[in-house]
Amino acid sequence: MLGFLTARQAGVDDPLRLRRAESTRRVLSLKLNPDRDVDRIHGNGINTIDIEAVEGRYMLSGGADGVIVIYDLENYSRKLQYTCKAVCTVGRSSRYVHKFSVETVQWYPYDTGMFVSSSFDKTMKVWDTETLKPAEVFEFEGNVYSHHLSPIARKHSLIAVGTTDPKIQLCDLKSGSRIHVLQGHRAEILSVRWSPRYDHILATASADSKVKVWDVRRASGSLFTLDQHNGDKSKASSEAVNTAHNGRVNGLCFTGDGLYLLTTGTDDRMRLWNSATGENTLVNYGKVCNESRKRLQFTVSRGCSPEFVFVPCGSSVAVYALHTGELVTMLRGHYNNVDCCEFHPDYQADVIVWRRFKELYTGGKDCNILAWVPAPRAPDVEEESKSANQAAADQSSVNPAFQDAWSSDED
Amino acid sequence: MELSQRDRLSELVEELTTSGQPQLHPERMKEVKRICRASNDCIEHVYNSVMSQLNQEHAEVRLSAFQIAMELFSRSHHFRTLLVDNFQEFLELTVETDSEQPLPPPKEVARKLRAQAIQAVQSWQDSYGTAYKKLALGFHFLKQVKKVDFQDAEARTVSERRREEETQRKRERIYKERVEAACTDMEESYQEIEATLTEMESCMSLLIPGFHFTESHTANSSPPHSQPANEPSAVEDEPCCSKDLQEERTEGRVQEEEEEEKNNDSEGTIGDMKEGRIQEEEEEKNNDSEGTIGDMKEGRIQEEEEEEEEEKNNDSEGTIGDMKERRTEERDLEGRGVDEQEKEKGKEEEEEEEEEEEEEEEEEESSVEEKEGPRDENAFIRSSGLISHSYNLDLNLSPGLHVRETEDNEAVVTTVIDLHRLIMSKHLPAVQSWVQVFTKSCAEQRLLQRALDLKRSLETALQKHKELHIDYKTRQRRVMKATDGEEDDDDDDDDEDFDEVPEKEGYEPHIPEHLRAEYGLDPVPSTSTAPAPKRAPAKAPAAPPPPSFSSIRRLKRLMDDEEQDPTCAAATQRRLTQTLPLPAEPSSSGPGSSSGPGSSQKATDAPVVPFGLDLYYWGQEQPNAGKIIKSASQHQFWVPIDVDEEVENKELLAESRSRYISFPGSFTPVSHHCRAPLGGGKLCQRQDRLKCPFHGGIVPRDQEGRPCRLEDRLREEKEERKRREEHPDWKDADLMRDIEAATGEDLGSDRLGKKRKGKKKKYPNLSDLKQSANTSRSRLEKKVLNKSAMRRVAEVMSKADSRKHDKFSNQFNYAIH
Repeated sequence: MLGFLTARQAGVDDPLRLRRAESTRRVLSLKLNPDRDVDRIHGNGINTIDIEAVEGRYMLSGGADGVIVIYDLENYSRKLQYTCKAVCTVGRSSRYVHKFSVETVQWYPYDTGMFVSSSFDKTMKVWDTETLKPAEVFEFEGNVYSHHLSPIARKHSLIAVGTTDPKIQLCDLKSGSRIHVLQGHRAEILSVRWSPRYDHILATASADSKVKVWDVRRASGSLFTLDQHNGDKSKASSEAVNTAHNGRVNGLCFTGDGLYLLTTGTDDRMRLWNSATGENTLVNYGKVCNESRKRLQFTVSRGCSPEFVFVPCGSSVAVYALHTGELVTMLRGHYNNVDCCEFHPDYQADVIVWRRFKELYTGGKDCNILAWVPAPRAPDVEEESKSANQAAADQSSVNPAFQDAWSSDED
Repeated sequence: MELSQRDRLSELVEELTTSGQPQLHPERMKEVKRICRASNDCIEHVYNSVMSQLNQEHAEVRLSAFQIAMELFSRSHHFRTLLVDNFQEFLELTVETDSEQPLPPPKEVARKLRAQAIQAVQSWQDSYGTAYKKLALGFHFLKQVKKVDFQDAEARTVSERRREEETQRKRERIYKERVEAACTDMEESYQEIEATLTEMESCMSLLIPGFHFTESHTANSSPPHSQPANEPSAVEDEPCCSKDLQEERTEGRVQEEEEEEKNNDSEGTIGDMKEGRIQEEEEEKNNDSEGTIGDMKEGRIQEEEEEEEEEKNNDSEGTIGDMKERRTEERDLEGRGVDEQEKEKGKEEEEEEEEEEEEEEEEEESSVEEKEGPRDENAFIRSSGLISHSYNLDLNLSPGLHVRETEDNEAVVTTVIDLHRLIMSKHLPAVQSWVQVFTKSCAEQRLLQRALDLKRSLETALQKHKELHIDYKTRQRRVMKATDGEEDDDDDDDDEDFDEVPEKEGYEPHIPEHLRAEYGLDPVPSTSTAPAPKRAPAKAPAAPPPPSFSSIRRLKRLMDDEEQDPTCAAATQRRLTQTLPLPAEPSSSGPGSSSGPGSSQKATDAPVVPFGLDLYYWGQEQPNAGKIIKSASQHQFWVPIDVDEEVENKELLAESRSRYISFPGSFTPVSHHCRAPLGGGKLCQRQDRLKCPFHGGIVPRDQEGRPCRLEDRLREEKEERKRREEHPDWKDADLMRDIEAATGEDLGSDRLGKKRKGKKKKYPNLSDLKQSANTSRSRLEKKVLNKSAMRRVAEVMSKADSRKHDKFSNQFNYAIH
């Protein structure tokens, strides 16, 4: 660390380098934060969470009971112990609440004054955050599994919506209408995702085990379909041609730079694709447990030198190295299946925010939203070991629960 | 960590977890802790072994492992971190958070484990919840998602609780229905019960007050039930009754005289026997005239108990009572024998003494009119000289009176009996069931109260009845007597009663045996029981009169009614007919009983064989025996020409003449024992007829079990020698094991031991899970559902099926299948 700092001071290193090194360390030391709680509002499993990109302060969560909650993640109390308060809630008592399970929530990328939620009650609602009233309601023929707003689009404000209908709907926020339909899939669309690199590129995952990448400017059809065998006919059986997985594909995620696309399927596999060519990079992540029949929300770290991917895997969150496929660690904290995880972007250098720098939030069926934060850096070896001992002693004096309690009569 | 420590730890954990005990062995646990204290490595090792034991499919193992974990959790921070890190699995294995992974059997231990684990989690949460985030999360998870109620001692999860609630609700619903049903039931039958009770009450008050009167006089004991209310009225009534008494009596006398004349006219046919008896009794009567006076008094008192009107007749009634007794005694004398009569006599004397005493008491206690009675009577007798007349009356009346007299009271008595039966069979069970329902379902207090009240009143009624009943029997007899007195009022009854004696006895044979004992001897105890209420009413508890008793009586009464009129032809005719059964009667009752067994003995001597053809044709020539007639054609006209219509069959012929009698002989139980010497100096106690399955043929043996005969002894010795050669004594497995343990050399005890013991269980302390599965059902299942049996059945079925196919393949519905 000191080496990095001196190098940075000397101007030898690229500023990005220190940043990456520290980020990586932090991601690797992620652990369940003992000091931070998130209010338990949901009476049922949490299906989706989203942290807004503007400030990184507010978090949306959608529950299986149709409730949507907005949390304030910021801790201004200057105390270690902090419970993230629910700022506002679209509760069951609200007139506008979703009737059934909320499947996806997403902030409007440029403003926290608006967010979009979709639900199994066959609607997608565009909410005004201030009044907590839907400004617009889109209704569909089937359950809405997923929707996505392009995080970078400046020329359009399209929402891609995946429903039980094999056609992908494109809704325009400007006109408030469904303006376009993308045809090609044969089964329900479980996940849709805009590329963070090009605002007209859309990836969709379907239950027909195919993943298609679309250019929404082209009306004729998809750009290409991801093929797990990279077009090698000999390996693929006839019906497995152009499939991304051998089961339903229920998770989609672009890497932060948009160069790669990750998919997960019910065949317990995760695959990494080159998003430009649609080539399977053949990274082997091993078995990634996946029993969800709905969309799986997973995320990729940003700004680390080897990037990491956080995938819900049963009741824990698996952390893989993105390009090597190595299982880094399992984050255990939930008591039921984890449905979603959202990586907190690292924006601010504020001391307090610094503490939750590289945080991970996960929601699960046990109604908990857990915050995973990097462990504070241990005192460097160069520092006196005495002070380390002191610190340890301090810690144990602070919390007697950490002390051993061997009774003397056992000698 | 040293290897030895590691091994020792594994060993200890295994020992601890496979002990099968509900508590950990404290010494071993201490040792575990001592080793664990050394380093975190040890703790890790213990943690791993504990977790692996927790994964065992045996609740006892899990419980012990959990207890180890609990011990260490409170001790070591490192252990806590390890456990909390894997808390979900821990919960799954101990609290059953995952419904797809239920806790393993045995059930009780699993339940215990669950409860303990939940308690532990709570206590951990209290002490370490703040420090270990995941522990807190786990606690919340249990509390909010799994909805474990930590206060609940049973520590059930939601589903369990829901199930419980469900059953509870169901039960409640059922209870509610039952309560409603019971409610309506109660509403409906409340009136009825009330009516029954009041009826009972009034019946009793009809029967009881007099009785109580005497009772209160004699015993001064607690006056039961309605007594207090009735007594005063009785007392009040008495004076006026006594006033009426004389007048009526004189009237009665006149009637009696008239009647007697009539009787004499009509009874001329009855024969001398009766008159002779009457004469005897008269003499007796004269002899114990003192007694009669006493009796008369007694009778009078009883009358008072009964009905006021009867009191008028007390004098004559008393005599009647005595007459009756005496008469029966005489009959007894004839029928049964001297000693019994003496007994009766003795009893009577005692009673008379008592009566005298009581008489004195009464004279002290009772009002003046009671004394008037006898005085009047005496005066009357003296003045009118009608003593004999009255005696005559009594004698003739007594047996007949029995029935007729009861007539008046009997209505009440029968009602009481009916009511009693009604209460016993219907109301009381119903009320009891209501009470049960109400208490079980925690119904309204009011309902329960009501039901209980009902029950109580019914029970008191029963109790009353019971009390009455003791008296009831005596009562009934007294009633008869009392009405005996009544007879005196209307003398025309007398001769009918005279007639009815034989009539009644003519009836008796129809009465079942057990009743006859009571019935036939009826008059005898009456002497003793009549005064009994005076002495102590509760002293002579008697069986309730059988219901048939009353019904028969009633029937008889019906007939009697017809014949009550002496002018009626029926009466005369009956009298004529009745004279015959009367002398016959003793032979039927008394000697009949003695002759009965004799004849029956003869019957048992003769063999009983099933009726057969041979008996049917006994001693006859059977013309058609053994011939079978063939009727080849059933046609009316067309008959085949030459067909042997009859075929001789020798077998059939023989069959019709012979009879098979199987003669099994009689079973004689084996009286000898095997008596072969057993190990502990005992002798074999088996009682086989010829051969003991363990010791061979049974031979006579002496005290120590040695065969008495020489050749047997030799043979046995030979066998013994042979056996010894095969298995020498020193080759005993236990002995060899001991020697091996001492010397350290292998003598092959394992081989020997194994031969006998078979497979040894790995953990003998754990309860065997398979054992519980070894039920008759499972064994049957093993037999019935085993593969080969199933296959066999399937084969047979398919074969049958295919046969059908072959047979009916031309029919479409068989061809299809």
